[in-house]
Amino acid sequence: MDIECTVEKIKNAVLLAERMTGKNLSLPILHSLFLSTTGKSIRIRSTNLAVGVDIEIPAQVKKEGEVSINGATLSNVFGNLEDDTVVVLRQEGEHLLLQTEHTKTIINTFPLEEFPTLPVVEGESFTIEAATFAEGIRSVYFCAATTEIKPEIASIFIYAEQQTLFFVATDSFRLAEKKIKIKGLSDISKILIPYKNSADLLRVLDSLSGEVVIMFNKNQLSLFGGGIYFTTRLIDGAFPDYRLILPKEEETKVVLIKQELLSTLRLSNVFSDKFSHVLFSVSPTIKKVLLSARNTDVGSNESSVDAVIEGEAIEVSFNLKYFIDVFQALQGDSVALLFTKVNKPILVKSVQDTSFLYLLVPTNR
Amino acid sequence: MDNTTLWNACLTDVETQITKASFSTWFKNTYICTIEDGIVCVGVPNEFVKEWMFNKYQKMILKAIVERLDNIRGVNFVIRKHSVVEEKQKTIPPSIHQTPELPFRDIYINRDDNLNPRYTFDRFVVGPFNELAYAAAQAIIKRPQQAYNPLFIYGGSGLGKTHLIQAVGNEIKQLFPQKQVLYTTLEKFSNDYVISVQNNRQQQFRDKYRKYDVLIIDDIQFVSTKQSTQNELFHLFNTLYEQGKHIIFSSDKHPNHIIGIEDRLKTRFNAGMTIDVQEPDMESRLAIVREKSTQMSIPIPEETLSYIASSITGSIRELEGVLNIIGMHSEIKQKPVGLTEVKLLVKNSIKPKKIISIDAVVKLVSNYYNLDEQMIYEKTRRKEIVRARQIIMFILREDFNESYPAIGAKLGGKDHTTVIHSYEKIKNDLSTDPHLMKEIDDIRILFK
Repeated sequence: MDIECTVEKIKNAVLLAERMTGKNLSLPILHSLFLSTTGKSIRIRSTNLAVGVDIEIPAQVKKEGEVSINGATLSNVFGNLEDDTVVVLRQEGEHLLLQTEHTKTIINTFPLEEFPTLPVVEGESFTIEAATFAEGIRSVYFCAATTEIKPEIASIFIYAEQQTLFFVATDSFRLAEKKIKIKGLSDISKILIPYKNSADLLRVLDSLSGEVVIMFNKNQLSLFGGGIYFTTRLIDGAFPDYRLILPKEEETKVVLIKQELLSTLRLSNVFSDKFSHVLFSVSPTIKKVLLSARNTDVGSNESSVDAVIEGEAIEVSFNLKYFIDVFQALQGDSVALLFTKVNKPILVKSVQDTSFLYLLVPTNR
Repeated sequence: MDNTTLWNACLTDVETQITKASFSTWFKNTYICTIEDGIVCVGVPNEFVKEWMFNKYQKMILKAIVERLDNIRGVNFVIRKHSVVEEKQKTIPPSIHQTPELPFRDIYINRDDNLNPRYTFDRFVVGPFNELAYAAAQAIIKRPQQAYNPLFIYGGSGLGKTHLIQAVGNEIKQLFPQKQVLYTTLEKFSNDYVISVQNNRQQQFRDKYRKYDVLIIDDIQFVSTKQSTQNELFHLFNTLYEQGKHIIFSSDKHPNHIIGIEDRLKTRFNAGMTIDVQEPDMESRLAIVREKSTQMSIPIPEETLSYIASSITGSIRELEGVLNIIGMHSEIKQKPVGLTEVKLLVKNSIKPKKIISIDAVVKLVSNYYNLDEQMIYEKTRRKEIVRARQIIMFILREDFNESYPAIGAKLGGKDHTTVIHSYEKIKNDLSTDPHLMKEIDDIRILFK
């Protein structure tokens, strides 16, 4: 192998691929990146047997060849090289020579034939903007359970209905749903992406622009676009029918300024107890929502937020952390809280954006 | 050779040909699913493994299998997760009846009012032992906040008090959805009160309990040791009563016999309707067993049902326990349990008939009446002693089936006719004298 390329191009690919090398596996070859050439490009492949990625970058190929090399070493080297220099990678026996204007590096390689191939997925497919897909996942993935006991909720649930793609995640204390309209989207089977792999998926999607093609069957999903092929294991299971628990009508509707509520919640967080309780008292008479938190070791805090309130007074307490989480996914500058009854879940929505909803189960006092 | 042995043999072959790391990465959790038409189907955990097996190890595996089994043409890979779990599940066929409610009973409790929706009147068996309580409950449902306020139901453990009062709550909730019902135990009420005192939220505590239209408090007898809870309960009672709200209590004793509660509470408990629930008689027990066995859908022949009803006396909860055991056994063995097996199963639940000596009876009764035990045996005709002696004779005859001469001989050499006379006398008095009836009931409780 003998190729020449700018550092900038290859660096990003190496850093991305290095993320997906197997960190704690017994098979040492999985710690490495697999570099190969195809005519006018170089391909970098890595996998940890849960996800896998194959990135193609244009380069000047003087001599074809394949090499596998420790991912951490290579990414550390590239991390310290200037972006605009030209780098030469040349295979010399058991080693890879990496040369720029000022540096010369020799790295040991691994035997080639051991490196696994990435599965090719056959099945249903659809096309979507990378940014849109990333938005859908990013809006909900923080809700997914992290337990290994219930793989079907430790995942992001994706399904399509009436040209709309639904993204859902829950850990049984809260649930987030994001709807994204996609013209011409045909009905597809349900997809369960493991929560553990969602960060890698987001990383890949963020490095892409334009459309990606997504192919999947019940065990595996792959994504192709912009020279990157990414594949992840899927969960073969059934997501709970969450629509049954969405409240149908609300008794009390409260609209608040998002930023005010967030800073008040953060203030209450200072005084929340170890269960992160905060008590919401909605008081229509004074047109305010009162938040109170108490920690016997620290102190207590009571704050109020001005609000537009329709309906009756109600008192509900929540886990603050779960409440603050939702703000990363809320668009717009005002937020609506829909209460039904004491001890019944509430809905959190953005007033401007109807595509996202968040269901939060109150805590027992 | 079965599939597991075959696969293990093949794996030992493969293990020698590749590195240990590769072997443990790729061949962990693999097994042979099926062998059909010369194609061996190997189950693998995920797509990565499937891909790699197919590309890299297919020939090696095929060679290892062909050496051990004839007529094999190829190897195929499928993704099968949790193979061990799946196989285990396969060996247990779907059970003949489901008892999902049993272990998770608490989950069904409504968090707003603590009522368990499972307790309804449809599932309530009415017999002579509880018909009065049932009638009072029905009257309340028809005219809540008017009839029998407060209703005080008492009786031994496991006789359906909780079921009855919760059913009242559920029924009222259904008929009058606007009415606010709360079911709580005295324990919970008391804890709630203590917490409110701790957090200085007594006003909230009071407001909370005073807003209900129907308040049901279970196991009220535990109030006896809690002085300030009694106080709070007293005021709560007055407030609710004045506003015409309905209050229902249950206890294991008559309010007058709960030691340590103040008289002002006692009189209030007695102000409405005080009804006891007794132990079910044989026919009621049979009806209960039949009802429960259909509820749990355990098929039990009539003969067995009547055996259970006749051998398990006392609490309904024990009947339920026995039915659970039988249900469990028939589920495991996949066939209805026969009478002989039932006899074996319930033998631990049957209470042995209590053997009690005449002396012990004498001691208990004389203690009850605050008399010196020795006086009973003496030839004295003092009124209070004669009365106690007669009661002893009556109980010995009625409850312990002693012979008249034996009783006479033991109690200071009385003639058997004296004993007969005493027995008859108490028996007659019982029908006219409610105090006497009460005393004898109390004494009988002491024997248990």
